[in-house]
Amino acid sequence: MRSRRFSPLVHGGLLTLTGAVLLLLSGFVDELRTYQGAQVAVYVIAISSIVLLTGYSGQISLGHGAIMAIGGYAAALSFVKWNFPFEIAILFGVIVGTISGFILGVAAARLSGPYLAGTTLALAVGLPTLADQFRVLGGEQGLNFDIGDPPTWITKIEGSSFTQYKWFFWITTIFALFTLWAITNLLHSSFGRNWRASRNNPVAAGLAGINVARGKVLAFTVSSGLASLAGALFGLLLGLVTPSAFPLSLSFAIVTGAVLAGVGNLAGSIVGAVVLVAIPEFSGTLATHLGNSQKVSANLPGLAMSLLLILVVLFLPNGLGSAQLVKKLYKKFTTT
Amino acid sequence: MFIDTLLIGLSSGAIYSLMALALVLVWRSTRVINFAQSGQAVLSTYIGYEITLRTHNYWVSLPIAIIAGALLGSSIDLLFIRVLTKRVKSGPIAEIAPVIATLGLLGLIQSLIGLIWGNAFLQYPSPLSAKGFTFGTHTIPFSPQNSMIVLSSAAVLAVFGIIFKYTDLGLALRAASFQPEIAQLAGVRVARVRNIGWAFAGSAGAVAGAVITPTSTLSPNSLDLLFVSGFIAAVIGGLDSLIGAVVGGVVLGVGFSFILQYIGSSVTFLMGFIILMIVLLVRPRGIFGSKVGRHA
Repeated sequence: MRSRRFSPLVHGGLLTLTGAVLLLLSGFVDELRTYQGAQVAVYVIAISSIVLLTGYSGQISLGHGAIMAIGGYAAALSFVKWNFPFEIAILFGVIVGTISGFILGVAAARLSGPYLAGTTLALAVGLPTLADQFRVLGGEQGLNFDIGDPPTWITKIEGSSFTQYKWFFWITTIFALFTLWAITNLLHSSFGRNWRASRNNPVAAGLAGINVARGKVLAFTVSSGLASLAGALFGLLLGLVTPSAFPLSLSFAIVTGAVLAGVGNLAGSIVGAVVLVAIPEFSGTLATHLGNSQKVSANLPGLAMSLLLILVVLFLPNGLGSAQLVKKLYKKFTTT
Repeated sequence: MFIDTLLIGLSSGAIYSLMALALVLVWRSTRVINFAQSGQAVLSTYIGYEITLRTHNYWVSLPIAIIAGALLGSSIDLLFIRVLTKRVKSGPIAEIAPVIATLGLLGLIQSLIGLIWGNAFLQYPSPLSAKGFTFGTHTIPFSPQNSMIVLSSAAVLAVFGIIFKYTDLGLALRAASFQPEIAQLAGVRVARVRNIGWAFAGSAGAVAGAVITPTSTLSPNSLDLLFVSGFIAAVIGGLDSLIGAVVGGVVLGVGFSFILQYIGSSVTFLMGFIILMIVLLVRPRGIFGSKVGRHA
């Protein structure tokens, strides 16, 4: 696979095709599934920001939930206070998130391993509390980010069956596919090669003329831009942004998703995102079968997710979509 | 007012120090940041709570909780961390695998606690009065409860200090973390010594949980913020240094207390982040950390 020449055009074409199929399919599933599809798309963006940062640049962040909050709040603020159209509001969220990511990245490039983990963890806990401090951020009630019904030009083409959730699904899916396409191109460019070289052997990369520190800052900045895009879309799905929408557990969840995906595997981020949405769903069904006591239904999703995470780290360290597993299955099918 | 704020800060700083100490003990022995620490501490606190309910005696439950914490720490190392370090050695995952694995363990412990005891906030009866000491007409915000927190933290720190400085076990612990291969050649049973490090950390966390919980409530997540503070304290002090953990804890406790008094409660953790940033930008490996910086 590696040796085959990578073409952004072919790749882009494939993703466009996938998008078209997905969008057509969205007409055949019910509302709940459409909404969950949109959630998956948002998680794909969030997880791929971690894949880029950890898998390719070797930095760890436990605070990407906070950066999602920056993106979400900036988008909602510009939407509510300045009446930006929502597309521009999302773009504004991404710009603010990218700038904050650059500032953080400059500091982060000096820190390694656990020190970086600790700093970003403190950010994840500390930043959402800012909303209580400034009245303009709306306190615990948060800010409204309700973009309303789909625009008329779509309902004209698609008919009145085109609901708000379907509109959400379209927006998020298009952003997710575009993100995947852009990151793949970036990773195949000289930036991507420099990141991999710096991660594998920083001293040798430095000797070869790569500015390792600058690469790290750049990776953190791009990753933060993606995380803030995910945050803005997350707010759009919820219809509002609140401090409790971006808890510490969100930061942990996207890192979990990245590990389930395999941290060095961009395509795996789709697997990770599906698992993040599917586990609560499945364990909810299971809890109902187990008698639906409050204790069980409250704790089963967490239990299932933690068990899966531990098993994956121990037995499939390259993720659920890991190449080894696929290769093994492929060999089995082709040799018999 | 100033003295009052300082006293509150000392009391919370003592707890942060204990949590930071637990993290440093594990970090020194296995190079793992143990995110499951708050889960271990809260589980041993639940065990202590159960014993207190049965026996109506806090002082019986305390040593049992400490022993439970030590056993828990030791078994997590044996059953889990050793398997992990053997299996996951290379690739982009290797560096973050311990973080992820202990996060998974934290989730596992907390959901198991939720399945057994439920997620409701439980009241852990306090053995001592939570009413402040009175001098004349002035009541200071420092109760017998607070003094127990400070004294027990100081006792734990003193015991560990003596063990590390004056016993053969302490020497082995220091050697195993400093140069594991050479320590092994010198006849130190490194794996066993590391396991003892995990047990010590578990018991330190258990003490922290047992003395702080009577001042608030007990729930599966009740020690999470304490863990974050402990982590910040350990990073400020330098993850390799036991003294650093204590100093970092007290600095953070007093700092938080003054921020709470003079700025407001909602910005405490953000201030924690800023304090951490400032310390790390000046000294990337903490105040008492080794001077070796990043190479590239």
